[in-house]
Amino acid sequence: MANTQWVAASAFVEWRDIPGSSVSVTRRDDLTMANLGVFEGQSDKVLEVIRSAYGIDLPRTPKIVTARGTSFLWYGPNQWLAVAAREQNRDLELELEPLFSGVASIVDQTDARAVVEISGHRARDVLAKGVPIDLHPSAFKTGDVAITHASHIGIVICQMDDNPTYQISMFRSFADSFAEWLFHSCEEFSN
Amino acid sequence: MRRQSNRLGEGGIIDRSKPVTFTFDGAPYQGYQGDTLASALLANGVTLVGRSFKYHRPRGVLSAGSEEPNALVELRSENYREANTKATMVELFDGLSASSQNRWPSLRLDFMSINSLLSPIFVAGFYYKTFMWPAALWEKLYEPAIRRAAGLGRAAQGEDPDHYEKATAHCDVLVVGGGAAGLNAALNAARSGARVILADENAQLGGRALDDGLPIDGAPPVQWIDSVREQLEREPNVVVMRRTTVFGVYDTGTYGALERVSDHLAQAKHGFPRQRLWRIIAKRTILATGATERPIVFGGNDRPGVMLASAFRTYLNRYGVAPGRRIVVFTNNDSGALTAAEAALAGLEVVAIVDSRRGLSAEISKAASTAGTRMISGGVVIDTVGKAKLSGVVIRTGEGEDVRLSCDCLVMSGGWNPNLQLTTHLGGKPTWNDAIAAFVPGTHPPGMSVAGAAGGSFGLKDALDEGAKAGSEAVASLGWKVAGPASPRADNQPYGIRPLWLVEASKSKALVDFQNDVTAADIALAAREGFQSVEHLKRYTTLGMATDQGRTSNVNALAIMAKATDRSIPETGMTVARPPYSPVAIGALAGHHRGKSFKAVRRPPSYAWAKANGGVFVETGLWLRPAYFPKSDERDWFETVCREVKTVRSAVGVCDVSTLGKVDVQGKDAGEFLDKIYMNGLKTLPIGKARYGGMLREDGIFMDDGTIARLGEHHYFVTTTTANAVKAFQHMEFCAQWLWPSLDVQLISATEQWAQYAVAGPKSRDLLRKIIDPEFDISDEAFPYLQVGKITVCGGIKGRLFRLSFSGERAYEIAVPARYGDALMRALMDAGQEFGVCPYGAEALAVMRIEKGHISGPELNGNTTPRDVGLGDMIAKKKDFIGRVLGERPGIIDPDRPSLIGFRPVDKNMRMRSGAHIVPLSAPATAANDQGYLTSVAYSPTVGDWIALGLLKRGPERIGEKVRAVDPVRNEEYVVEVVNPCFVDPEGEKLRG
Repeated sequence: MANTQWVAASAFVEWRDIPGSSVSVTRRDDLTMANLGVFEGQSDKVLEVIRSAYGIDLPRTPKIVTARGTSFLWYGPNQWLAVAAREQNRDLELELEPLFSGVASIVDQTDARAVVEISGHRARDVLAKGVPIDLHPSAFKTGDVAITHASHIGIVICQMDDNPTYQISMFRSFADSFAEWLFHSCEEFSN
Repeated sequence: MRRQSNRLGEGGIIDRSKPVTFTFDGAPYQGYQGDTLASALLANGVTLVGRSFKYHRPRGVLSAGSEEPNALVELRSENYREANTKATMVELFDGLSASSQNRWPSLRLDFMSINSLLSPIFVAGFYYKTFMWPAALWEKLYEPAIRRAAGLGRAAQGEDPDHYEKATAHCDVLVVGGGAAGLNAALNAARSGARVILADENAQLGGRALDDGLPIDGAPPVQWIDSVREQLEREPNVVVMRRTTVFGVYDTGTYGALERVSDHLAQAKHGFPRQRLWRIIAKRTILATGATERPIVFGGNDRPGVMLASAFRTYLNRYGVAPGRRIVVFTNNDSGALTAAEAALAGLEVVAIVDSRRGLSAEISKAASTAGTRMISGGVVIDTVGKAKLSGVVIRTGEGEDVRLSCDCLVMSGGWNPNLQLTTHLGGKPTWNDAIAAFVPGTHPPGMSVAGAAGGSFGLKDALDEGAKAGSEAVASLGWKVAGPASPRADNQPYGIRPLWLVEASKSKALVDFQNDVTAADIALAAREGFQSVEHLKRYTTLGMATDQGRTSNVNALAIMAKATDRSIPETGMTVARPPYSPVAIGALAGHHRGKSFKAVRRPPSYAWAKANGGVFVETGLWLRPAYFPKSDERDWFETVCREVKTVRSAVGVCDVSTLGKVDVQGKDAGEFLDKIYMNGLKTLPIGKARYGGMLREDGIFMDDGTIARLGEHHYFVTTTTANAVKAFQHMEFCAQWLWPSLDVQLISATEQWAQYAVAGPKSRDLLRKIIDPEFDISDEAFPYLQVGKITVCGGIKGRLFRLSFSGERAYEIAVPARYGDALMRALMDAGQEFGVCPYGAEALAVMRIEKGHISGPELNGNTTPRDVGLGDMIAKKKDFIGRVLGERPGIIDPDRPSLIGFRPVDKNMRMRSGAHIVPLSAPATAANDQGYLTSVAYSPTVGDWIALGLLKRGPERIGEKVRAVDPVRNEEYVVEVVNPCFVDPEGEKLRG
């Protein structure tokens, strides 16, 4: 057995943080994620379990709700993605599996998706260079989720706050291509 | 440096405190911040700026906008060089270098102007008529020679060093054009709170209101324009996009626009693109694009010094430049009077006003008396005098008398054409309006309304009022509360046009299309030769086909053709346009996506390690996979791949197979679901076991293959090939959602969750024993071939182990969460040192699967069935699955079909190559005798020579037979023997250990 501790690698190999007041970009390598897929005829049961365990109702439209340090993103009909910070070795697959035996599939997605956060008053201008949907506050608000694409890469985007901060996830292998576009698109706003 | 001889002492919105130095054809000049290249050249008295396309005629500046057909220059240098740039649209910056094009050796002395003398030969259709025979010479001789002589400027030869971007914008109302109508439309719409985008192609808002200087609210128009601009810029819901041309209209309210972000700068600012291509999504659009003045078609109308009357006003009012000092005005409508009055006001001499209309126009008489000038009513200009610069005009008066007047500038107004191009992009047809002698928008694209001159309302008051109305109505129709439309005070100007389409008394060349050198005589010739439809006219003469889209020529040409064929203009045809309204650089269309960023790249979990360790990568779809890992003393890839194969077969190797598609399948009908989409039975697969699976198309052809592992009662884990991962997952989703929605099954892509490495070779278990936590028993008894199970590594990291083999060796696939993929690779390499481990890539992987006779992409080529590739026994007999029924068609099960088999060369030194076709030994190599081909060929270090897999008619029945491999592409032919396709360990002893 290997006797050294294994180091977790970021999905973003060629990365640089972009700090700044107009737009800042950070990668979120500290998340645990699991997909929740409801089995036939079990939606009420799933809603009930989440309500009693986390005290919230799962959204039925493309929204994100958060409670007790755990967020649930609408991910498609009868599918949600649970997201939480990986504090104290939290693992949402292990946490959710016992709650949903025979009711929903729980599949670890912690490593399947690379996540970044883009924040600041020019964040929308940056995203306009690759994301085709309307992110204006009248069309897309804090708590909204969309499955779309950025720079021809499939993404899930959600607005986390009114700053605004957007959390964007994509399949892990696309991370560096996405970042390359993102850095390029941020350049005119960075100091 | 020359003095700016034609710059007026005052006026214009240029910044006279900021002089700007530039060069034209190498000579230095000075202009001011706010000038265009055209206005600065005119300020310096430069009237000759280019040579025409075909006849190399001297040309000056005709217009002051994006319709310019004459003043096309090359801008900047080396790889920044940009040909055919309109000098009228180029904003001056310090250090700008421009040069004229299509002349040799110099602009003033152009040898090719001999074409003009030969012009009786170079008429429309000349090339088609003259260079017909022999046809072979067209590509080799005629076309290159003609291209050299014809002038299109020179493109830069190297890679474009500029950056471009693409972006999307959304709004309630898009206003196209920032003149009086557009500004007022935007202002009225914005007051409601709706989201408004105002796009204007110039740096300064104001359009013709700024050019003409007519009062708004009793004050110079610049005051109102500035105040509206400030109001709009203060509104958070308004975006003002200057230097932005809306060039195309597309479906569902989508507009293409080009923003020239940095073209007005010597160098783009850091991080900024040169240009940005916008996709604007608008619920409503207001077209306020104004109108373009028509030239008059008379002899010598293209001589430098002849200019549109409206352009003259633009140079006076915007730039404080007098394009000439002694001016003749030639007009068929009242707007020419404006120029005469403005010129006189600026202290210039107006030599005469030639009004082709008979009978006095009050407006023109007033202008003539203000200017103290001669009125020639009912007269026409029949010719111009001068060489490369206008020195006079010949006028035929209403009484038929020819008068020669000296002047240095002739301004002409043939009336106005609404800029309705965008209304025709989705198939809208303009209609003819006799009152203004022009086409006006007919049907509009959905959601578009038209305001001001773009709709044929040429007066300033009308423009403001219609803009206000369109702005209010657009937002009201979207449900916004809006106060009534509001407009400032202004007057309309009389127009009173009486068309003059052609001065028939002219003897010399009268240009219609200035950019493509099409004359009135060419149109007459087309009419005589039967090219009378507008589409024929265009193609035969090239009229309207230049980069200006014929904006100054189309309607004149139509009218001349109408006259020649004795039809009305609407009977003759109409002009519709396609995008782009003005040229768009290809770079802007590509945006960020060029070079290395052309498309996204997918990197597997071991990418960073592989790169650091000399891995050579190969593209597989979007994935970059290591192909092989050369050592420094190895001569070539061949040596490396042989070494990697030998290491796996004798010790142990590690290969990143994370790129295989992985699908997590759960639900109580998961087994049944998989039974329906795979040809072989999977419901019966025991928990903890894996099985090969073949996926067919509905027509019975092989689509994809992989392994299916059963992790629990209702839990399966499926892998697909790398190349088909997305297609196979889509297929599964389609089946689950549409074909059998009642099945209880949940599909989640897990491709990216796991870093999965094949660990293959006799020492693979020994190596893994050092990696996998000790509580997991991986002995052959506990973990035999095709066993799968959950494990942990490094003291608790979750993982999975699959005992699968593609190489035919004892082999495993170990998976850990992708973030530990890099660590796992390092751990395997460290721990494997004592066993002589090596990493291996896609090449060695391919060699070993060929050695084992395993099928892959070349065999799963979209033409083969399971029977064709030797897997016929696997097809389930007792269940239904996709592809079963059509897979039993006679042609599909015909035993004569080419089937998978192995080949070895009879001459052991012979290298086989894939693609070679198989024919019988004694038969001629013809298509009729073709019996199959080699699909996969490799040098096998294990066997010691070249081996091949292939598809051969009745292949499995012909083992031992000798046939010929014929390769017409490489011109090779050799004898091969048909052999068993499994070249290594056919009994599978190594596999099971």
